[in-house]
Parts: sequence; C-alpha cells; structure tokens
Amino acid sequence: MFRYKLPPWLLLLLPAIIVLAAVVMLPLLLSLYSSFTPYRLTRPDSLFKWIGTYNYEKALTDSKFWAAFGRTIVLLTIALNLEMLLGLGLALLVSKVTRGQRALRTMMMFPMMFSPVLVGFQFKFIFNDNVGLVNNALQSLGITDQVIPWLVDGKLAMFSIIFAEVWTSTSVFAILILAGLYAIPKDPLEAAKVDGCTSWQTFRHITLPFIMPFIYIAMAIRSLDVARAYDIVQIMTNGGPARRTELLWTLIGRTGYVDAKMGYANAMGYTSIFLAIFFTVYFFRKLTSARNELGMGG
Amino acid sequence: MDANRSHRLRAHGLKLAHLMTLFVAMSIICLPGLWIVLNSFRPTVEIMAKPPIWIPNDLNFDNYRAMFAGAGEGGVPVVTYFMNSLIISVTSTAIAILVGMAGGYAFARYRFRGKSAIFVGLMVTRAVPGVALSLPLFIVYARIGIIDTHFGMILTYVAMNVPFTIWLIDGFFRQVPKELAEAAEIDGCTRWQAFWRVEFPVARAGIASAGIFAFLTSWNEYALASQLTRSVTSKTMPVGLLDFTSEFTLNWGGMCALAVLMIIPALVLTFLVQKHLIAGLTFGGVKG
Amino acid sequence: MAEVHLEKVVKKYGELEVVHGIDLDIGHNEFVVFVGPSGCGKSTTLRMIAGLENISGGNIRIGDRVVNDLPPRARNISMVFQNYALYPHMSVRENLGFSLKIAGKDKAEIEAAVDEAAAILSLTPLLDRKPGELSGGQRQRVAMGRAIVRHPDVFLFDEPLSNLDAKLRTQMRVEIKKLHRKIKTTIIYVTHDQVEAMTLADRIVIMRNGSIEQQGTPLEVFANPVSTFVATFIGSPPMNLIDGVVKGGQVVFSDGTSLPVPPRYSAAEGQRVQYGVRADNIMPIGHALPPEEHMAELDMTVSLSEPLGTETILFGEISDTEIQAKMLNPRPVEPGETMRFQITLDKCHLFDAESGVSLRT
Ligand SMILES: Nc1ncnc2c1ncn2[C@@H]1O[C@H](COP(=O)(O)OP(=O)(O)OP(=O)(O)O)[C@@H](O)[C@H]1O
Ligand SMILES: [Mg+2]
Repeated sequence: MFRYKLPPWLLLLLPAIIVLAAVVMLPLLLSLYSSFTPYRLTRPDSLFKWIGTYNYEKALTDSKFWAAFGRTIVLLTIALNLEMLLGLGLALLVSKVTRGQRALRTMMMFPMMFSPVLVGFQFKFIFNDNVGLVNNALQSLGITDQVIPWLVDGKLAMFSIIFAEVWTSTSVFAILILAGLYAIPKDPLEAAKVDGCTSWQTFRHITLPFIMPFIYIAMAIRSLDVARAYDIVQIMTNGGPARRTELLWTLIGRTGYVDAKMGYANAMGYTSIFLAIFFTVYFFRKLTSARNELGMGG
Repeated sequence: MDANRSHRLRAHGLKLAHLMTLFVAMSIICLPGLWIVLNSFRPTVEIMAKPPIWIPNDLNFDNYRAMFAGAGEGGVPVVTYFMNSLIISVTSTAIAILVGMAGGYAFARYRFRGKSAIFVGLMVTRAVPGVALSLPLFIVYARIGIIDTHFGMILTYVAMNVPFTIWLIDGFFRQVPKELAEAAEIDGCTRWQAFWRVEFPVARAGIASAGIFAFLTSWNEYALASQLTRSVTSKTMPVGLLDFTSEFTLNWGGMCALAVLMIIPALVLTFLVQKHLIAGLTFGGVKG
Repeated sequence: MAEVHLEKVVKKYGELEVVHGIDLDIGHNEFVVFVGPSGCGKSTTLRMIAGLENISGGNIRIGDRVVNDLPPRARNISMVFQNYALYPHMSVRENLGFSLKIAGKDKAEIEAAVDEAAAILSLTPLLDRKPGELSGGQRQRVAMGRAIVRHPDVFLFDEPLSNLDAKLRTQMRVEIKKLHRKIKTTIIYVTHDQVEAMTLADRIVIMRNGSIEQQGTPLEVFANPVSTFVATFIGSPPMNLIDGVVKGGQVVFSDGTSLPVPPRYSAAEGQRVQYGVRADNIMPIGHALPPEEHMAELDMTVSLSEPLGTETILFGEISDTEIQAKMLNPRPVEPGETMRFQITLDKCHLFDAESGVSLRT
C-alpha cells in the first residue's frame, strides 16, 4: 500500500497555512486579477472584461497617486524614526529610575491599548481648531489668541497626524528597548567604566549594539502594523483638507468604496502591499544580521 | 576637593533634569486618555463650551445611562455592539491560539528546510494593509454570503492574528527545554501526552498572553470591520464609535463613554500580561 | 534488570553519519561508562538506546526484545539528563510520581514508591518544594529519584554531574556508586570526564568519532591502551609520547638518546614509532619505587616542578618533547637541575607513529 505521510512540522503548520491561504492569499489573487479589469461594484459583469495593465498605467501616471505614495513614504519614515528615537529615550529614562518602575512601565504601555479609531477621534478632538484641548490651553494660558488650524492647514494636519501616530506607537519601541536594556549583561558595562569610558562612549559602544536586535524586533513588529495609521488618518482628516493628507490607504479606500472603482483600487492596493512587504522583509533581514553579530543566531 | 564638589553638583542637576523629562513624557502619554475618561462624565455641552470650562462642575453618569438604555441620544445599540465585539474577539482568539500553538510548536521544535523563509512568509501576510485586503475580501464575502456575519469576522480575525500568535508562541515554546518533553516520554507519555501534561502547562502563561494580544487586536480592529460589517448584526464597538458622529454634530460625551467601555477590558488584560508579552516577543525574536 | 545489546548501530543525520556501526553487549547489572571527547557520539548513542533518536541502521535489543522502533515509553528505561529536565510546574513529589501516575498506578502505590525513592536519596524534607526552589545538587538527586521510582530495566545517565561544582561532583559520584549497589540495575552512563569513568565503571567504553575505540575494565584500558588516543585520554597526567625510530632493539629519538623496545612489544627495524611512558613510570632515582625486572635510565633537565604534597610533578624534555615525570618523597627542585631518571620498561608502550595503533604482541 502506498501512503504518503506528511512530515509532522507540515501537519502542524497546515491549519495556519490553510487559514492564511483562504483569507489572505486567495482574496489577494482575486484582487490581482481584478486589477486587470475595469471592475466596478455596481456593475458585476465588468469583472470579466480584461483590460491588461491599463489600471496600473493609469495609477502610474496619476499625480494624485504619486502624491499619496510619496506622502505615505514620508510619513512612515518620519514616524518610524521618531518613534524609535523617542522610544529609546523613554526606555532610557525609565530604566534609570530606581523606584516605581513597574508603575511607569504600565503607564508606558497605556497607548497600546487604544483602538486606532479611538486615537483618531481623540486627537481629532484635541486638535480641533474651535473647541480642541490644545487651542483652548494655548489661549487660556495666553500664549496665543489666534485660532490655530491644526487639522485644516495641510502642513499642520500632517504634523497632527504624525503626532497621533507617534503617540500610539512609541510605546512599542519603548517597551521592547526596555526589555533589551534589562537583558544587557553587567560585566561589559562595568569593564567599560573601569576602562575610563564616558557615559556617552559606554552607550555608543556597548549599550547600543546590544539593544540593536531589540530595535529591529520593534521595527519588524511595527512594519507589520503600519497600515493601522489608516484608521487614524481616516478619522482625523479623511485625507483632507483638499487631499493634502491623502495617504495610499485612504486613497485606496476612497477609490474602492466611495467611487466604487474596485479594479483600479486593487491595482493601487498592490503597490501598498509591496511597500508593506518590502518594509517587513527588510527589517527581518536586519534582525537576522544583528542577531548573528551578537552571536545569538541559531 | 573641588573636583568632587562639581561632580556632585552636576549629578544633582542631571537627576533633576531626568525627573522633569520623565514627568513631561508621562504626562503626554497619559493625559489624552485621562481626558477621555473625564469627558465621559460630562455633558457634551460643557465639553464643547466656548470659552472652555476647565474645572468640571457637572459630573454625572448621564452618558453611561444613555448608552446602556440604548434608546438615548441617537439610540446607539451599544450593548449589541459590545456583545458582537465580545463574541467575535473571544471566538477568533480561541481559534487563533489553537492554530498558533500548532504552528509555533512546529517552528520551535522541528528543523526543516526553508524554515526562516516560511516564517517570514507567514509574517508577511500580516503586513497586508487592512484596506487593501478589505476590498477583495468584501467581494468574496459578498459572493459567498458571509458578509455582515459573526462567522465572516471571526474567520478574518483568525487569519489576522495567526502570524503574530505563531511568533509569540514559538518564542514561549523555545523557552521550554526540549528535554522536558523527552523526560516525559521516557516517563511513559506519548508525544501527545508529553505536550499537554508538560510542555503546555510550562508555557501556559506565555500562551495566555499571546491570546490576550490577539484579543486586543480583534477588539480594536477597525479597517476591516468597517467594511465587512454593515448592520447591528455584526458591527463591533470600534465601528460603532462612528454612530456617535453625524454630518455636522458629534456626541462627544457619548463617544467618550463608549471609549471607556472599550478601554477597560483592554487595560485590565494588558496589565495582567505585560511581563510575559515582552518575554515572548524578545525571546522568539532575539534568539532566532 | 536486563541485558542491552547493540548490533551494528548506525546513526545518520541526513547525509552525515555520526555513529558508525557500534557493537556492544552490556550484561545484567553492569555499570558501563561511555567516555570520549566532545562530539564523538556518546549522547547520540545513549539517546538511541532511550528511543529519543531513531536508529538509521542495525539493531538494539533490551532483554530479549528488539526495541528498534519502540517509543521510549515502551522500553522500560529511565534517564537522567545533563540539565535534569525536572518539570518546573510540579512539586518534587509530583515529579517523582509522574511516571507512575501516567502508568495508571493507584494513589497508595505511587505514594509508597515515592516515599521509598525519597528515603534512598534523602529527599523526604524537600518533597513539597518546586524544582526552582532547590539547589543544584538537590535537583540532581530529584532527577535520579525520578529515574529510580519506576524500577526500570536500564538506567541512562547523560553527563549528570557536569553542571555541579567540583566538590559536589565528587560527592554525587560516590552516591551514584552506592545507588548502583543498592538497586542493582544495568546502568549506562555518559561522561567526558575520565576520572568519573575510571571511578564508576565496571566497564569503560571509549568512543572516538562515532566508533568504539576500546572497551574494558578501568584497569585494563589504563594498563593496555590500544592506541595513542586511549593512552592520552585515560590517566592523568596524560601519557608522555616521544617520536622515535626502531634500530636494533632500541628506539632512537631525534636527539640521539634511546630506550629499549619495551617487553611484549615488537616493531620492525626502521619503523617510525611513538614511545609511551606514564609519569608514574619515569622517576628520579632516589625518589622512586623500588626497581622491577626491566629498567632503563636516562638524564633529563628539569625545567619546572609542581609540588602536590606527597608527590611532585617534574617537567623536562626528551628530544624536544615535553615530558611529565613524578617524584615521590619530594625535595625542592631548582629549574635547570639535571637529574637521573629510572624508567620501568614493563609499563612502557610502543605505538605505530602513523596509525597510532599499539604494537603489543
Ligand atoms: N540534530 C543533529 N543534526 C546533525 N548533527 C547532529 C545532531 N545532533 C548531534 N549531531 C552531531 O553528532 C555528533 C555527535 O553528537 P553527540 O551529541 O552524540 O556528542 P557527544 O559525544 O555527546 O558530545 P558532548 O560530550 O559534547 O555531549 C556531533 O558531531 C554533532 O555535531
Ligand atoms: Mg552529549
């Protein structure tokens, strides 16, 4: 009797692979297909009309698309770097505290529990030009008597969005870097002190290389999740004013659901998917090499 | 002598600066949340007052009462949303943990070719942005008729949570020495018994925290839910938040009350697992 | 109580063969120790006997059953791991009773067995603690207790003492030896510490690169090593080996000094050899044991001495090879002092220089 037996590891991974294939891969294949059609939600038969790479050509020559694309990259770059730096700073601050660390750690994780929609609403209200907390505070303290248009001016709106994004996600970095700081062995630190390193030199040559893998873990986790910014932007400005905070994700949502041009939206969706995959794979690579440098591979 | 003194002065100065910075940072982190809690006890009129009322003089439970009465201002069926969220999150978490446990165990215990490629491959599915995924999912779900159902949402969230639970659980199982299972086998267990009687109990705390992480993700998710749920039969709380807004008005007080309802479970659960969560993420990630 | 037989047992990891067809017969109640350098396949062999690794070729029999494809639980063996592998979520009592519970024994029976094992290993006061609350030596004892409650046919130990400090190791070594007397079971014990091997074993099995190099009682392998590998591995300090060439019944070293071919050894004229002499058999005259039948003498300049109390180790050189010698009833020795040494030829060895094989007839 011939019976092919699956290796146990594959058997164990099978449920995960099946679920992900059904809910992620299959729809993505569909969307890949539909990106070659003029599919509109309102006209189901349009799904069967092949128009080749028309949607992609259209996207690539669409200035609105490129503006959103560029803005997304800028937002991600600024936000991720800021989050990393602030997270590092916060972790260092907390690690130096001698009492009440547990409480501080819990507080630090506070923003992680907020649903991104909620963060969106929260900051939409805080930055509201008329009755928002920030303007109220500035005016009551007499710093300005102007109404600052936080969410109405294009540049300020971008700032507000980045602020909200950084507020929610800095804690991911802070908490993981803090874990890294706890894990540093004491010996090299003490050896450096005895060797006459200043605190900056110690940090630069011992602490930093050691926590690098932790930073990459945080980066990898974040890159899996960057699109959560969609929820925040969607609520705070919905791409406005006048598309000046339009990101890839809001553009896709608008094209697909509001304008009902599914085929076109899927074509743009694919670019955002590749962007996400690129970031993810990049940071996983970094993680592996940082790990090997520290001799933690295997 | 002098050198000593100046060093001491500098140390004092640094300490003060450190405490100040920490205080400011923590304020920025905590104030927005506290402000929401505070506003949930205030009438919308007072929150929106111009000039602002800094010292609340009308704290009450009206927003909560209206919310649970269902038919209050706007009549948002909060209790139904809460139940939807609860059913969807709990079920999808339970399934994601089972699937994740199988997968995480495979990564932690077996050697096979292309392991890291498969791992990254699974992770990458998580990186697909919700909006981009929601379009084709919407089409498929509409076709097979599971749009706006609990089942559809549960399925979606299982898929969304599986990569991450695999990552975390892989880390936790790696912390359990494989000799434990071997010792159990020698003590007379089958492989299956060895897993459930030894490896699982030892990794239990970590697995629970992976579960809570999955729960929170489902509990807070918006991008997919906003497209795949359409009515009270399956709308979850994050989507329900939008019921408090209309074209020109915004029931801020009511929204804050719902927000508090969303945050409290999240707060409690996160507090319970924070330690394990960090251990799982860093161990799985760092020790490769 | 059972015999264990290995017949041409092979282990491959993919293409890589790490154990090359081992043959070994272990008798009832025998205490067999596997020694060898790191990576030579000791653990792998032990784990194949346990059933934790499947075998790629050959047969393993325990008692009169072939166990090649039986899972560990069906082999009635127990094993003590290097890092103990105690179940951290169970108390000492539960750890000890786990195997009986799995086997479906009733409560009273389990309790009796646990109490007996705890008494043997003086664990009784620790029964309600968790493994995390025990010291290294106590954990070690719990691991052994877990192994003995079941009265297995065979005991397997994989470097059980290597995580303990030197003093505790000596103490536990004695306890294991006593335990073996008390419970009378076949024991297979893996270590890379030759002192442990010598003191514990009824029979030593020396492994090298996945094969058995030599087996025998501790005294046999010490007195008659089959190769330079065994000669340098067993005994401390390791046997001195000097390169030389056979000329007319003498082994001539590169600096011109020579020693006679030891009795019971034979080598062809002109053969390149290694001359083996242990420190115990090269001693300065006046500080040595009374001479035996075949003796030789030579001068050596001492470069360093290490007093150990009752004896002193002297370091010198014969034809550019460092030699360790022993001095009984020591007196102070200045570096650079030249002394005359006596060599007990009956206890010297000769090995082929190329293959390292003993030239004993
Ligand atoms: N899973 C594996 N895959 C490939 N090779 C392996 C595997 N396990 C062990 N080996 C190889 O098999 C050989 C024998 O290993 P084994 O663990 O038996 O050595 P050992 O004699 O017990 O050494 P030590 O004293 O260090 O414990 C080693 O060269 C090792 O690299
Ligand atoms: Mg070993």
